[in-house]
Amino acid sequence: MIEFRAVTKRFPDGTVAVDQLSLTAASGKITVLVGPSGCGKTTSLRMINRMVEPSGGTIVIDDLDVRSADPPRLRRGIGYVIQQAGLFPHRSVLDNVATVPLLIGWGRRRARARAAELLELVGLPAAMGARYPGQLSGGQQQRVGVARALAADPPVLLMDEPFSAVDPVVREGLQDELLRLQSELGKTVVFVTHDIDEAIKLGDAVAVLREGGRLAQFAPPAELLAEPADEFVAEFVGRDRGYRRLSFVDSGGLALHPLPTVTIGQPAPRQQHWAVAVDGSSRPRGWLAPGVTVDGPLAEGALRPGGSLYTKGGSLRGALDAALSSPSGYGVAVDAGGALAGGVLADEVLALLRSHRGAS
Amino acid sequence: MIDDLIDYLGNPRNRETVRELLLVHARLSLVPLVLGLLAALPVGWAAHRFRVARALVLGASNVLYTVPSLALFVILPPVLGTKILDELNVVVALALYTAALLVRPVADALDALPAHVLAAATAVGYRPLRRFLTVELPLAVPVLAAGVRVASVSNISLVSVGALIGVGGLGQLFTEGFQSAYNPPIVVGIVFTLALALVVDLLLVAARRLLTPWLPRRGRGQRVRPLPAGVDVRGATGSAGGAA
Repeated sequence: MIEFRAVTKRFPDGTVAVDQLSLTAASGKITVLVGPSGCGKTTSLRMINRMVEPSGGTIVIDDLDVRSADPPRLRRGIGYVIQQAGLFPHRSVLDNVATVPLLIGWGRRRARARAAELLELVGLPAAMGARYPGQLSGGQQQRVGVARALAADPPVLLMDEPFSAVDPVVREGLQDELLRLQSELGKTVVFVTHDIDEAIKLGDAVAVLREGGRLAQFAPPAELLAEPADEFVAEFVGRDRGYRRLSFVDSGGLALHPLPTVTIGQPAPRQQHWAVAVDGSSRPRGWLAPGVTVDGPLAEGALRPGGSLYTKGGSLRGALDAALSSPSGYGVAVDAGGALAGGVLADEVLALLRSHRGAS
Repeated sequence: MIDDLIDYLGNPRNRETVRELLLVHARLSLVPLVLGLLAALPVGWAAHRFRVARALVLGASNVLYTVPSLALFVILPPVLGTKILDELNVVVALALYTAALLVRPVADALDALPAHVLAAATAVGYRPLRRFLTVELPLAVPVLAAGVRVASVSNISLVSVGALIGVGGLGQLFTEGFQSAYNPPIVVGIVFTLALALVVDLLLVAARRLLTPWLPRRGRGQRVRPLPAGVDVRGATGSAGGAA
C-alpha cells in the first residue's frame, strides 16, 4: 500500500507541481495517475522513490515513511519503468535486466539466470539477451524495461508513461501483457499516463489530476465514467465516455440468436438471409450475403468481412460493437474457444442496458 | 641522401640510440596522456555539474593551453623543485596540456548523455559514484576517445620541444642533426615520430572499439539486425477483436 498524505511539491521557482495530494494506492492493484501535461503526475510518481523530494506531506509505503529510508536502497526495492525504457545502451539486454540483482549483491551467475527467467516472463526469446538495446525495436525495449524493473521481485512497481513512445498496435499488446503479468504477480503498481483510454483499461483505480497538481477525482474507472466529479473530469474522460462505460456493464441475460451458417470448403446453397461462414472448427470467418450464388465449394473470397467478435459473457461494449460493426445487423458471438455461439442485436443490448439502469 | 641514411642506420650504435630515444619518446608522451586523462575526468565532471565551475575550468584550460610549451618546461622546475633536466618537468607539462585539452570533451560528453538513461540509473538504485563509473563514463567513451586521440598526437609532437631543455626523446635527433648540419638523424627523427603517432592512434581506435562493443560498426551491416524467424514480437495479445 502506498499512501500520499497531503503531499505538496513546490519547485524553487515557485511553481506548485503537486498540491496537497492525498490518496492511497492499494496493495496488489494498479493505480493510475492520469491528467494533462503539467498536472504533476510524473512528479508525484518520482516522490515515491525520492527522485523528487516532497516540500510537504508524507509518503508511506507499507508503514515505511520514505523519508526515513536511504534513497538508493529504497529504489532498489521499487521497480521503475521509464518512458522510452531508459535501458543502458552499453550493456547487453541480459545485463540490463540483471542490474538490480547485481546492485543488491547477488552473484553474477545467479543474477543472469534470474534475468533469463525474466526475459521469458515478458515474452522475449532467450537469444535476445545477448543483444544490445540499440538492436531492439521500441516495443521490445519496453518489455526489457519491464523485465529490469521486476528482476529483484520488488513488491512495488512504478511506471512512468511506459508505453507512450510505441505505436498503437504494439502499445495495445504491451497493455494486455501488463494485465496478464499483473494477474500472475499481483504487484502494487502506480502507473502514470496522459491517455485516459489507457488509464481506464489498466487501472483498478484512477486518479485524475488537473493542472497545478490537484486531485480532481479518485475512483474506479467505471465510476469515473458514470459519475465524473466535475466538468473538468467529464471533459477529460471524453465525449464517448457513455460508450466506454459499457465496458464495465455485464452482458449477462443478453439473448443469443441462432444464425444460419454455411461452411467454407463445402457447397453453399443460395441464402435468403445473411449467413455466417464458419471454418472446419466452427470458427466464424465472415458473412455470406443473401442472394449470392456460389459455384462449387465455398471459398473465403466469396465472403463479406465480418465485424468485431463478441466473446460470450464479456462486456456490453463488446456486444454492442459486434452488432454495430456487422454487415448483417447481427453481432457474432463466440464462446471462449472462438467457436460460433450465436448472434446479438444492438436493440437488445440497449434494452438490457435500460433494464440495468432501472434496477440500479 | 639515401646513402647517408643507410650509413647512419647501418651503425649499430645509432640504431641503439634511436631505439632508446623512441622508448623515451613514447614514455614521455603516453604517461602524461594517462595522467592528464585521469585529471580531466573529475575536473570535467565538475564543469558538467556546476555552472560556475564550467566557466572557470574551461577558461583556465584555454589559457593554460596557450602557454608555450617551452615556457612551461622552463617555469616548472622552480615550481616543482625539480632539476632542469628532470624528465618529470616534461611529464607534468604534457599532463597539464592533456588535461586542458580533455576537460571540455569530458564535460561535453557528460552533458550529452541521454537524460532518460541517467534517470533510469538513479531509479534502479545506483549511488552517484558508481553511476558515474559504470554508466556515465562508459557511455562517454566515444566522445572522450576522440579527445584522447587529439591529445595523443599533440603530446607526441610536443615531446620534441623538450629536446631544447635536454629531455625530448626523438626530438634530440633534431637538435643533434641541426647542430652538426647532418640530415639523417633529423629524417629518422621525423619518420619515427610520425610512425609513433600513427601506431598510438591505431591503438587508441582499437581500444575505443573494445570499450564500445554496443556501437554499430560504420559501413558494416545495418543497425537493427533482423529477428530470428518465428519470434513473435507482440506475444499473445488476447484481443477480443477479429474478423468474423
